[in-house]
Amino acid sequence: MDDLQRALLRADPRLSRFDPLPRIIVHDDFDEGMHGWSELIGNYEDTLDSMLPEYRDMRPAMLSSATMWDTGTAGSMEGTYALKLATRPRAGHLSANLKRVTWRARGPVRLEAYLAFKPEASELRLSETDVRAVGVLFDIQDEEYRWMPHLRYLNALDGEQVGRWQFKRRREALRDIGGSGKTRSHFHLAPTGWEDVPGGRQILCYNEIATKLNWHYLRVDLDLGARAITHLQCNDRVHRLDGVAPMMIPAMANLWCMFNVLFWVETDTDKRAFLFLDSVLLSGDWEDREA
Amino acid sequence: MRQSYTAVIERDVEWQGLVATEPYECGWASEAIFFVRKLASEGDVRGVGLRVQISPDGMHWCDEGTSLVLSTNEVDFCRVRHFGNWLRLQAHLPEGVSLRVLVALALKE
Repeated sequence: MDDLQRALLRADPRLSRFDPLPRIIVHDDFDEGMHGWSELIGNYEDTLDSMLPEYRDMRPAMLSSATMWDTGTAGSMEGTYALKLATRPRAGHLSANLKRVTWRARGPVRLEAYLAFKPEASELRLSETDVRAVGVLFDIQDEEYRWMPHLRYLNALDGEQVGRWQFKRRREALRDIGGSGKTRSHFHLAPTGWEDVPGGRQILCYNEIATKLNWHYLRVDLDLGARAITHLQCNDRVHRLDGVAPMMIPAMANLWCMFNVLFWVETDTDKRAFLFLDSVLLSGDWEDREA
Repeated sequence: MRQSYTAVIERDVEWQGLVATEPYECGWASEAIFFVRKLASEGDVRGVGLRVQISPDGMHWCDEGTSLVLSTNEVDFCRVRHFGNWLRLQAHLPEGVSLRVLVALALKE
């Protein structure tokens, strides 16, 4: 990125809090609308009942003004609306939303987001261990592999605070769906097989009651050529990535050049957990080659 | 151009007895239509009413006054305006009535 481009980015209040690579692929500020984020659903054939049960109910996102019962509307980090993912009030339930694009060059890409998470403020207590996890994953395919970097912040598990970044490379079984032989599905977000990011302990700003919302910066870099996660940062902490690897699957039939980005939130109790995204920026660095 | 968005707030869900959709936050919208599509049904659903409810906080609910009245058609709907920030449907289905539903909430700025 040259000095002029950097100066232009820094002079734009909407972009200056991001550190994008030279090409901005998407910049989704949810004050402007849903920006093409949609609910994750499992594969099915002939009937919805053929779907893997874990995928049946990942909930539609909503545009939230973060309105609290005690203090009214908090708004988003910059504006009124954030994209809100909400689980059902059932321990272990997940809500997942994603954006589906395709990649143009096998080079570096960077995902940045400003986000916050909270449990539903249905009790007058701290509730800091009620959200189990929030995470981000990518689902990418090239000529040889479908590869899926999975990263999550495990906030709490079974009522105990954990506060640690984790990754998942262990594959879940691919299961046949329906009878055509063309459709398969795997529940890669299963709670099993997660491993700690080395030194990945990090305490975030929960704040003192369930209606106080503080926004956090998240950055994840990938190298599409090397099929590697190259940077994980949350606020001031850049995490070590030794041994951190994506899930690797042989390339599948109809996913060429796929590039999906997905966020999710999981509740640890029988209470709704919310993930708020103020804005998301996906950028890359490439020059088109001659044919 | 006005923004619009359709959220599928229940999908392939079994309903019997006391039911309520998950809270949906949509204060940006000024008009809404609830669509209830029956994927399957048992018992006589004709005339069964689902109440539109509104809320100041997504946790405490009151009737808005509009009802979605079920028929023998595949899809039934109701229109709502001036609803604040949250919407849901709530119903007490009569004994012997059960439904498998897909509920869509169509919102417009």
